[in-house]
Amino acid sequence: MKDNFQETTMFKIEKEPKDTPKDILLTVFDALKEKGYDPINQLVGYFISGDPTYITSHRNARAIIRRLERDELLEELISFYIEKNKDI
Amino acid sequence: MEKLRICGGKRLKGRVRVSGAKNAAVAILPAALLTEETCIIDHLPYIDDVKVLAEILSELGAEVKLDSNGKISIDAADIKEYRVHYDLARRMRASYYLLGVLLGRFGKAEVSYPGGCEIGTRPIDQHIKGFEALGAKVELEHGVIKAYADKLVGNEIYLDVVSVGATINIMLASVKAEGVTTIVTAAKEPHVVDVANFLNRMGANVKGAGTDVIRIKGVDKLYGCEYTIIPDQIEAGTFMIAAAATGGDVIVDNVIPKHLEAVTAKLLEMGVEVIEGEDSIRVIARGRPRKVNIKTQPYPGFPTDLQQPMSALLTIAEGTSIITENVWESRFKHLEELARMGAKVKVEDRIAIIEGVDHLTGAPVVASDLRAGAALVIAGLIARGVTEISNVKYIDRGYEKIEEKLVRLGADICRVDSNGEIHRLKLVSSR
Repeated sequence: MKDNFQETTMFKIEKEPKDTPKDILLTVFDALKEKGYDPINQLVGYFISGDPTYITSHRNARAIIRRLERDELLEELISFYIEKNKDI
Repeated sequence: MEKLRICGGKRLKGRVRVSGAKNAAVAILPAALLTEETCIIDHLPYIDDVKVLAEILSELGAEVKLDSNGKISIDAADIKEYRVHYDLARRMRASYYLLGVLLGRFGKAEVSYPGGCEIGTRPIDQHIKGFEALGAKVELEHGVIKAYADKLVGNEIYLDVVSVGATINIMLASVKAEGVTTIVTAAKEPHVVDVANFLNRMGANVKGAGTDVIRIKGVDKLYGCEYTIIPDQIEAGTFMIAAAATGGDVIVDNVIPKHLEAVTAKLLEMGVEVIEGEDSIRVIARGRPRKVNIKTQPYPGFPTDLQQPMSALLTIAEGTSIITENVWESRFKHLEELARMGAKVKVEDRIAIIEGVDHLTGAPVVASDLRAGAALVIAGLIARGVTEISNVKYIDRGYEKIEEKLVRLGADICRVDSNGEIHRLKLVSSR
């Protein structure tokens, strides 16, 4: 039997999301959805209370959301919303 | 009667994993009765309070399967019983959550006045105020709280004092009420948020938990779900304090660091090194800590549940510390026991003055309640010689595998059964 340990092996390592507001929000949103939560409700709860209990530990989302302050995430959301709607 | 025997003076070192939150579990388990479908709840601490609660739910007619890995399945489709008798209710304080749950499900509930740790008068007037505001008629007869309502209708409820129990109980009762219920001056503790999360997973509409205003829009039906309980901030804090007290170096895993900010701040003030990870906290201590003053407050202030463990650490601090207990009126009973071990303490009303000493000495002591027991364990870990703690039943109510976790960190602790036989844990592996 051939010894595979001598061969070069490819490892697939899951990429950590970049710490941009967009990536953080999308990663957390998906994790909440996968666990059966209403992601909007949970994220709103987190923004108004600051309590990470709102965010699931699934896919490390609870730790990921704390990589940026709440105000930085909210800034992204509000800027995006205004940008998208200002000419309507 | 079982005892814990600790041979003190060992520096705690290594990693410890925190269990699920007791205070969330004791509210979430009863909440599962609000639906006729099956709820599966994971990451429960396998502690006496959870086992007793599982028994109570079973007695009420629910089909309950609890395993020692902290997973429970609750099927409350067939429950008809709305009365919780004295012999069950007296076994734990949190049995009062059954009032809100049974009232919410059946429009009627009869629950014997709850038991629990004796840490002062613990009135449930704010719970009753909430139920009455929702339209229930509530009376106390022969030690039984009886609540009835033809229908529950949402209302604005202003709590006169910040009460975790009342906030959660009103949420439980109003989740299926008609219209909108608003709780003003609500408690903001993490387990209030955890209960709201669980209810929302069941299909409820609870918003604002974790702030001082919670809005609950009543829904007609709740559904079964799977849910994972948050880590126990009090157990985490207890291990952080134990690490600091023994001059240790401990990584406390599976925590939400945000929930421990008040403890972290105080340890830093004492000169202890605290390093926050994403879901862990490392505590490194060298030598005697500095004195510090503590005032207990509702979350996010310093938690009353950690006041007693912290007082054990302060007995060996350099200088004189002052603790002000603002939440419960009688939460210094353990200090008499610490004095037996050589601590210099003085209590006046709700203030304790602790003059730090060079060392404690082991002694036979008695736990008067759950967190007092945790304080005595920490004192035993610090002390020179052997400490024997009686009334271990209190500690078992709230701390999962406490000896095993401490032994893994290097403590010399064992259990002595009622026949005087010693049960020393033999660890198969280091993890």
